[in-house]
Amino acid sequence: MARVSIDPVTRIEGHLRIDVEVDAGAVQKAWACCTMWRGIETILKGRDAREGWVFAQRFCGVCTTVHAMASVRAVEDALQLEIPANAQYIRNLILIAHALHDHIVHFYHLSALDWVDVTAIPMADPARAASIADGISAWPGNSHHELEAVQNKVKGLVASGQLGIFSHGYWGHPAMRLSPEMNLLLFAHYLQALDFQRKSNQVVGILGGKTPHIQNLAVGGVMNAINLNSLATMNMDRLEMLKSLLQDLIPFVQQAYFVDACLLAGSYPEWFDYGRGVANYLAVPDLPLDARATQFDLPGGIIMNGDLRSIRPVVDWHDQAIRGAVAEDVTHAWYQGKGALKPWQGKTDPDYTDFQDEGKYSWVKAPRYDGKPMQVGPLSNILVGYASAHPLTRKWTDAALDRISSLHGSRVAVDRLQSTMGRYVARAIRSAMLSDMAIKHCQLLTDNILRGNAATYNPPEFPQHEVAGVGMHEAPRGTLSHWVVIDKGVFSNYQAVVPTTWNASPRDEKGIPGPYETSLLGNPVADPSKPLEVLRTVHSYDPCMACACHTLDATGREIAQVKVL
Amino acid sequence: MTQRHSAALGRICVIGLGNVLLGDDGFGPLVVERFRCEYNYDATVEVLDLGSPGLDLAPYLHGKDLVLIADAVHSNDTPGTLCFYSQTALLDRKALLHLTAHDPGVGQCLAQLKLAGHAPSEVFILGVVPESVALGSGISASVSAAVPAAVQSIATLLCDYGAPCKRRIVQEKPNLWWRSSLPGETCRADFMIKQGIDHKIAQDQRQFLFWIAREMQG
Repeated sequence: MARVSIDPVTRIEGHLRIDVEVDAGAVQKAWACCTMWRGIETILKGRDAREGWVFAQRFCGVCTTVHAMASVRAVEDALQLEIPANAQYIRNLILIAHALHDHIVHFYHLSALDWVDVTAIPMADPARAASIADGISAWPGNSHHELEAVQNKVKGLVASGQLGIFSHGYWGHPAMRLSPEMNLLLFAHYLQALDFQRKSNQVVGILGGKTPHIQNLAVGGVMNAINLNSLATMNMDRLEMLKSLLQDLIPFVQQAYFVDACLLAGSYPEWFDYGRGVANYLAVPDLPLDARATQFDLPGGIIMNGDLRSIRPVVDWHDQAIRGAVAEDVTHAWYQGKGALKPWQGKTDPDYTDFQDEGKYSWVKAPRYDGKPMQVGPLSNILVGYASAHPLTRKWTDAALDRISSLHGSRVAVDRLQSTMGRYVARAIRSAMLSDMAIKHCQLLTDNILRGNAATYNPPEFPQHEVAGVGMHEAPRGTLSHWVVIDKGVFSNYQAVVPTTWNASPRDEKGIPGPYETSLLGNPVADPSKPLEVLRTVHSYDPCMACACHTLDATGREIAQVKVL
Repeated sequence: MTQRHSAALGRICVIGLGNVLLGDDGFGPLVVERFRCEYNYDATVEVLDLGSPGLDLAPYLHGKDLVLIADAVHSNDTPGTLCFYSQTALLDRKALLHLTAHDPGVGQCLAQLKLAGHAPSEVFILGVVPESVALGSGISASVSAAVPAAVQSIATLLCDYGAPCKRRIVQEKPNLWWRSSLPGETCRADFMIKQGIDHKIAQDQRQFLFWIAREMQG
């Protein structure tokens, strides 16, 4: 038996350590450890509730927008404050653009290199690659010349012997099985993705006033001024500009990213057999369509034990079950005490003990729903939408399954998405859906403005007694909730239950492991000194531990340490 | 130094990296905000506090002539020591030798952009050795003492690259919102909301005109 410790896991946002025990070529036991203090929300206590979001968006350097959004929603919930429909649409557009950006970066820049062998690209025939691409996608960036140019760049890089950032890949690993042509195709999109990362960033910038830290939010709405007769405010020109930026994004998402994810799934079908993990799924509704947030464009729901028929819809953010059933357990986390507390009563008092297999071993708390671990993220999103017969989810999921089935040669059913590969595919499905929604919400905003509605803000009023609220958001990595207690306009408690906390959760008081840990069990490991397969499953969640960035060790340790037990 | 596309808007980017809620990690944002308020410079220069964006740094480096990043860096020197690193120093390092806390992001973004043909021509890191990066919104005395010299060296470097900047006689008050008050002191929220819409219009307009100008020029 070998104990493999991957520290830090690379190509993620933030710092994560994964320990696995490998025997007979498969993982037998796993631990997920967040190596960073994550109690940053304590800085919010005692601050004015109206400006909490400005601080909250510094929790994480990468998902700034989502924390800002959850924070204003939490305060609005506590005050039962409606926001104007324009404000909903503007927020939705920001969230969509942010999510598209995030998913594109995850697929190409953070995870593709677990599947794509850069060193095989020089062997590819660019003409053949172009003709393969032509058969499956209308994407214009797949021309013979474009692919040849990319190949030449990679040839230069490989010949120089200085692979730079690519020097730590597990190149030539037996689990890398794409043809040289497919490697070339996906890597060409890896480079093209940089342009689309910029475009979605511009959408956030135009609406948010600034990126990466948007400036346009307020408790009660947004601060975007709308006046069709003013050059300086949101007007028709500005709306047209937004629409054209969004329209530029769609082909890349639907013809490159979506097709690539299906291609990958069709080429590595065995990864539908691994990584199922915790099969309880949680998603909250998002993209509200009206001022009071009663209708949503993305459905929410809860699925237990992987049974899609068991779905319990979560129709809005007032869902009493979620409010009552979420608790965070600290038995195996570096916080004082043991057992679980509900977020409104939550505490964040550190108690660091070093890594103890059977004791405390992570800075991440263990969130539980009704005492059960839950998986969150695009897969939960898609399964909930599919189970509730949401038309747009069905359209794109069926399209993906058709593509994968035809590559694979036999029918791949929706249940197979409950796997490592399913999480990659679900993220691409969600992106295709969101790109459709982007145009819709841009139109909703335009129509509402043309009907003469210019309101964007309802001023908040704080009562003289204590109120509590929760702000929910279905973020790129899954369900995010900020839980606040406000006394006379000032936060007296603030807890953020973030998506990666759900997924990277350590064991709880009953010893039940979290989704990362569970999904690694049975995961193949051909060579413990090159645990590529472990990375594939961990990366499938898009880990983001960066909720507090910390300085790193400059001594340059090995990434994977193997100990024979 | 040769001047390239000297009229190009935003061809130079001065970036502050770091989390303002983590003590000396907030050095970068603090220094660039001070520079923005203490110096006059033209529209070829963009000054940005980017927090800790990881790979989302790439769009801000895309196609620039010069990028200057202020950040906390690792070194065995005493806290508060300032140091400069060039792009070569960043790219040549093995991925595991982290120069700054945000180096995995900086290094990977630079390498990707280089392959895609959009890497900035010159990149400098202006680093400070941190004393403490614990949770809290202020910086230590030793790092604080290095701030004026850091601000001045940004100006010097920009001048070297043909982007003249002059120290202002009437300086703007830096917006160090993260050091904003706790109850008992004056709260800024009322002011923020009152000023919000006016400020937003001004900022929107500026950003918008900037983009239009850049698009037309491109």
